[in-house]
Amino acid sequence: MQDRRIPAPWLFAAPLILVMAIGFVWPLLQALVNSLHPNTPQGIDVTQWTFGNYKRLADPFYGEILVRTLRISFAVTAITGLLAYPVALYLARLSPRAQSLVILAYISPWLVNTVVKALGWTLLLRTNGVVNTILLQLDIVSTPLKLMLNETGVVIALIPGHFIFVLLPLWAAVSGLDPALSWAAGTLGARPSAVFWRVILPLTLPAFVAGLVINFIMNMTAFAIPMLLGGARNMVASMLAYQVNLITLDWPMGGALAVTLLALTLAIVWAGQKFAMQLAAGRGLRP
Amino acid sequence: MIRAVNLIMLIVVLAPVVVVMWMSLTPTAMFVLPITQFSFRWYREALSYPGFVDAFFLSAELALFAALITLALCFLAVYGIVRYRPAGAAVLRSFFTAPLLVSAVVFGIAMLQFVNRIGLYNQFSGLLLAHVVLVVPFAIRSLEATVRAVPEELEWASMILGRSRANTLLRITLPLCARGLVTAFLFCFLLSFSEVTTTLFMTGPSLQTLPVRIYTYMSDRIDPTVAAVSALVVLVSLAVVVFLNLLGGFRRLDSQG
Repeated sequence: MQDRRIPAPWLFAAPLILVMAIGFVWPLLQALVNSLHPNTPQGIDVTQWTFGNYKRLADPFYGEILVRTLRISFAVTAITGLLAYPVALYLARLSPRAQSLVILAYISPWLVNTVVKALGWTLLLRTNGVVNTILLQLDIVSTPLKLMLNETGVVIALIPGHFIFVLLPLWAAVSGLDPALSWAAGTLGARPSAVFWRVILPLTLPAFVAGLVINFIMNMTAFAIPMLLGGARNMVASMLAYQVNLITLDWPMGGALAVTLLALTLAIVWAGQKFAMQLAAGRGLRP
Repeated sequence: MIRAVNLIMLIVVLAPVVVVMWMSLTPTAMFVLPITQFSFRWYREALSYPGFVDAFFLSAELALFAALITLALCFLAVYGIVRYRPAGAAVLRSFFTAPLLVSAVVFGIAMLQFVNRIGLYNQFSGLLLAHVVLVVPFAIRSLEATVRAVPEELEWASMILGRSRANTLLRITLPLCARGLVTAFLFCFLLSFSEVTTTLFMTGPSLQTLPVRIYTYMSDRIDPTVAAVSALVVLVSLAVVVFLNLLGGFRRLDSQG
């Protein structure tokens, strides 16, 4: 019986493993291999191997784009982090029915494609858009604010775009806390602010950090929002990748960009996970 | 205070979607604010623009096939993992959910270079392969909960009574998973239907899905026609979301994600 059962699970999983090997592993390896060949006017020279494409990334032109990408991503993640706790704490106090309704309101826009949301933000933020019209009508400003085709527009549109990646894990962590903890702290004389800083925050920090990490890499690799709200003059890494791969058609360089972006995001995820686990361990929690 | 933050955040999250729907009803060719009269003329305009109509059918077809194929592949794999608990279960699960760690841009570049290499550039099958890989992690997570919820005793009973495992899987397990399968199908369909970035990186001009077509249209100009077609996309997405919620699908996905 035992020997007959061993291969069965692999048999069930085999079709999916095959599809993933062809459609996921192979393409990534293909980009990696291409990135190690030089590009020539005749196409990729597969007889030569080189690190030249990666060396070109040290050029200040690429450095500037990387710094802008990180700056925007960091701003979005920082603001998201400030906003996520109040929302998660508020949600946890609602009745279960109300909670699932509000969560649905947060999730449904995420399931609408990004391009439509980018259109919405354009209509809101452009010079004669909804926001400027309201501000002018209310005499809050005398000339329209420049809210898009700059980094401000990208940050404004990315915050709600990737909010749920922090909100969902944080909400799960906060609503998973035993209410007795807060009561106990309260009866022992802790004020609400102390309950938050000394009880709730330490216990939910690992989930919060994990959410922020995902949020950050989503910001780093966003494409449609930076393209449509930032414009070509505020180029970020994903727009550069598009240009190199689809306009200049330099695939070895494009492959190098893909591999670098992937390595960067994996490194951030790994470091974030380690950090979150350390936080959990430091508080005597299980990771 | 925290109530105000929640309210502001809700408004900010919903604003772009609401504005698109609102603006699509403008009677004028420019978005003149405030909009006091409403008209459906831009919907007629959008529905008579072949670029959008063709792209809609391509997107729907792609999402349908991607969801069905993913469901079949993932159901089998999940059944194998859950019922046999093989030694490599954790490795398999990480492998199947690995696409979550690869951003859409990186995967799009890899796919572009791959489909060109094997001669599938600008082909439906190339797009289909990419969309299947993109939705596999979500299907795995949602189906794992579904299969786990089926009592193994029912399968034993069926097999003791003489059915083969394959027959049991088909006649006992599959029907018991129906609700979870529909949920996973809708979710996969919606994710594929909404996918922009990877598709944009790997498609040629003659094979554009609806989000990609809207993107290329928008990079050229912004008019009420594109708002109307976007509003229709929102309506399709919301219809699926409401259906998903009725099936209780989100609770399952939240707890895992």
